[in-house]
Amino acid sequence: MKKIIAIFCLAILLCCAFSGAAVVAEEKVVKVGVGAPSGDWGYPSPFGFYPRGPGYIRMSFGFDTLTWKDQNGVVIPWLADSWEMSDDGKTWTFHLHEGVKWHDGELFTAKDVKFTFDYTKKQKIAFKWFQSLDYIDHADIVDDYTVVIYLTKPFAQFLADIAGDVPIIPEHIWKDVSDPTKFTGYEAVIGTGPFKLVEYNKDLGCYEWEANKEYFKGKPVIDKLISMAVNDPAAALTTGGIDETSFWGQSAEAASDFENNPDFGVRWGPSYWVLQVIFNCEKYPTNITAFRKALAYGIDRKEIIEQVVHGYGISANTGIIHPDTEWYKPDLPGYEHNVTKSNEIFDSLNFTDTNSNGIREYPTGEELEFELLTIGKYSREAELIKSQLKEVGIEIGVKVMDWSTMDAILKEGNFFIAINGHGGISNPRILKAPDWPASTFHNDDYDSTFTAQEKTTIVTARKELVDHLQEIIADDLPVYTLYHPKMCCVYRQEKLDTWFFTKGGVGIGIPIEMNKLVFISEEAVSTPAPTSTPEQPGFEAVFAIVGLLAVAYLFLRRKK
Amino acid sequence: MHQITKIAGYVAIILVVLSFNFFLPRVMPGDPFSFLTGDPSMDMPIVLDEEMRAELLAYYGLDKPLLQQFSDYMLNLLHGNLGWSIYFNAPVSNILIGRLKWTLLLVGTATAIYMVLGIVLGTISAWKRGGKRDVGLLTFILSISSLPSFFLGMLFIILFGIKLELFPIFGAQTPFMRYSTPFGATADIFRHLLLPAATLVIAHIGGVYLLMRNSMLNVVGEDYILTARAKGLAEWYILRKHAMKNALLPITTMIALRVGFMISGTIFVETVFAYPGVGILLYDAVTYRDYPLLQGAFLIITLAIIAANFVADIIYVRLDPRVKHE
Repeated sequence: MKKIIAIFCLAILLCCAFSGAAVVAEEKVVKVGVGAPSGDWGYPSPFGFYPRGPGYIRMSFGFDTLTWKDQNGVVIPWLADSWEMSDDGKTWTFHLHEGVKWHDGELFTAKDVKFTFDYTKKQKIAFKWFQSLDYIDHADIVDDYTVVIYLTKPFAQFLADIAGDVPIIPEHIWKDVSDPTKFTGYEAVIGTGPFKLVEYNKDLGCYEWEANKEYFKGKPVIDKLISMAVNDPAAALTTGGIDETSFWGQSAEAASDFENNPDFGVRWGPSYWVLQVIFNCEKYPTNITAFRKALAYGIDRKEIIEQVVHGYGISANTGIIHPDTEWYKPDLPGYEHNVTKSNEIFDSLNFTDTNSNGIREYPTGEELEFELLTIGKYSREAELIKSQLKEVGIEIGVKVMDWSTMDAILKEGNFFIAINGHGGISNPRILKAPDWPASTFHNDDYDSTFTAQEKTTIVTARKELVDHLQEIIADDLPVYTLYHPKMCCVYRQEKLDTWFFTKGGVGIGIPIEMNKLVFISEEAVSTPAPTSTPEQPGFEAVFAIVGLLAVAYLFLRRKK
Repeated sequence: MHQITKIAGYVAIILVVLSFNFFLPRVMPGDPFSFLTGDPSMDMPIVLDEEMRAELLAYYGLDKPLLQQFSDYMLNLLHGNLGWSIYFNAPVSNILIGRLKWTLLLVGTATAIYMVLGIVLGTISAWKRGGKRDVGLLTFILSISSLPSFFLGMLFIILFGIKLELFPIFGAQTPFMRYSTPFGATADIFRHLLLPAATLVIAHIGGVYLLMRNSMLNVVGEDYILTARAKGLAEWYILRKHAMKNALLPITTMIALRVGFMISGTIFVETVFAYPGVGILLYDAVTYRDYPLLQGAFLIITLAIIAANFVADIIYVRLDPRVKHE
């Protein structure tokens, strides 16, 4: 018995001696916290991530695109060193960077680029994120490092929305994969990107990447990147559980606690997001443009911004596009709160309060009452609008539902007004359906202008067209935009201080401060020799001591 | 014969529930693809055209007639295949197992603690009814149990997590920490478990305690207790063998009834502590109209409830042999 105990103690002792006492070299680890109920954005393979901005960002750490966007939103060479466009705008020639290697050591060549575009076009439904693939006709290889992409029609946003968005995948891995959605092995995350995925835990919503030391744009400035779900980002930041997080809208209030703290840095950026009131342009009475304008005059956006997002938002551009982009059309009518004007218009349309009960009536005599649809998230905005419109004699019933339900109702067109928000308003492509997810707005001038701007590759000419689109929206008012929330990231200075928001958003317009350029410095000199610090004695040490004592005791007893 | 009818009953229940699980989600407005076009988070919407939509429906087999989908589902189920989650893009069984293990750990620990504590404290209270101890316990337990669990959780986080820095404030384990020994990893999981489990214990102990106390009070008034005392048996013996055993009957029923709730009802605690679990998963599955995941999750809950009832039936017979003869 004693022998067994002795052996057991020795075993524990050895275990601890080899592992617990091992000296660990200090790595530069950065932990990013996500304050959503879940930090899980899917397996970060080009086909595995959830079709959401944060999912794309996580995938982009492992995969590169032909071009990329810098902090100012300028398209910069990435896997392609240079490119040319043919005069008709339908043929693009890319000269690829030589010597780029996949994470598994294979060489990246033009074959992979051609394969990527052919494959993604074929596997369209697996690429839910990429909506512009219809523009691709085919790709051809000229030599090992030159590839030509043929488009079906000119596409103004090609460099940013396709070349800068479609992740290039290795042919040698994907060529035999017939169902990419369900291909989630280790090989599915082999890219050329600055980070290699070490582990992904769906249940805990965590990702761990290690730096790709052979990255062709230089070794990343950190050794490890971790992304995890946290319940309270501000608290986690304070306690050191995470090193960086971002806040949005009303939650940005939390950032003020960090602004005067020298340990932390705060950077503000645009959210490229808008909350809007959608009018049904097909149903009486909201199909009357003047009626919609009268409703807009009755809504007090400033009060909503103060009450709901506590000032962390700006009055929205009535032409939808965010002011912090090159496509913004300034000076559009804002329909700022004006009760008199609102009343005048309603009166002139013959919607008057004939029975003096405070509620206007239809010209036919029925009470002017309707429902405002919204999801739970925007119920406070909805309640404010209800009370504001009451002042101009409109009775609103707020109906709160879940997103899928509202989506279905709006698509059917079975509503009068609804509140909904969406992002992506840095990119003119969002103007395709201004009243999305409804589709009650029809304007031939608008549709033809939209199609024209998609094809116009001359920036100034295109800008005029995009301006015109915004004018039409502000004038016809299929939607009345309420506010753009502000956004910021807060980070621990000593861990990493290079965070920035990309102008126009990463990829097709993702307003996240995790552009992979944050982690890369071209001048990256080799990091100083790793210093070693012994681990603090913990559980292992206690076990080791107990074990030692036990063994010593047994030996002493035997001697007696 | 009795056993056979019973088993047939269980099979019938499972079949009915399976059909409900299949048809109910499909009756709800919306479909699994409305999340694609932008659950209104901070994201840009993806506008699906009809062609793309049709292809997606075909890929997930949702374009077939409902009855055929149903028979496909049943066939797959017989092969142990729960399907592929549309939102989470992974096999439903993997997702469920991944979450269930944390739920079971959290709920199992909490349930074991609050059951034992509730029973013991309820017994103590009832045995000396109206005494100082009884009144004290009753007031204390009822007042802490009436706090909403999310509030209690936040209180714990602020106090033990942020102010005293004793426990981690979120998650089920420190992500990607490599421990040199299994003890380290276990200790880490235990440290993460403590606050959420304590929250659940406090939130649920009131019900068990009250039920046990009431049930004990009824038993204590029975003649056989008087007889036992008259026989001169020791107080402790009467309490254990005569009173408690009989008073446990309603508690057994209560546990069986609560099983389903225990799996899905921890959503507040999961949210407050960012603890992975089936509660949030179920909520997400409904939000995203993720039919295969909804079916899988409800199936697990149904099976758990049925299993609990089955076990309760057995325990009941052991606790009260009269049930068998009736």
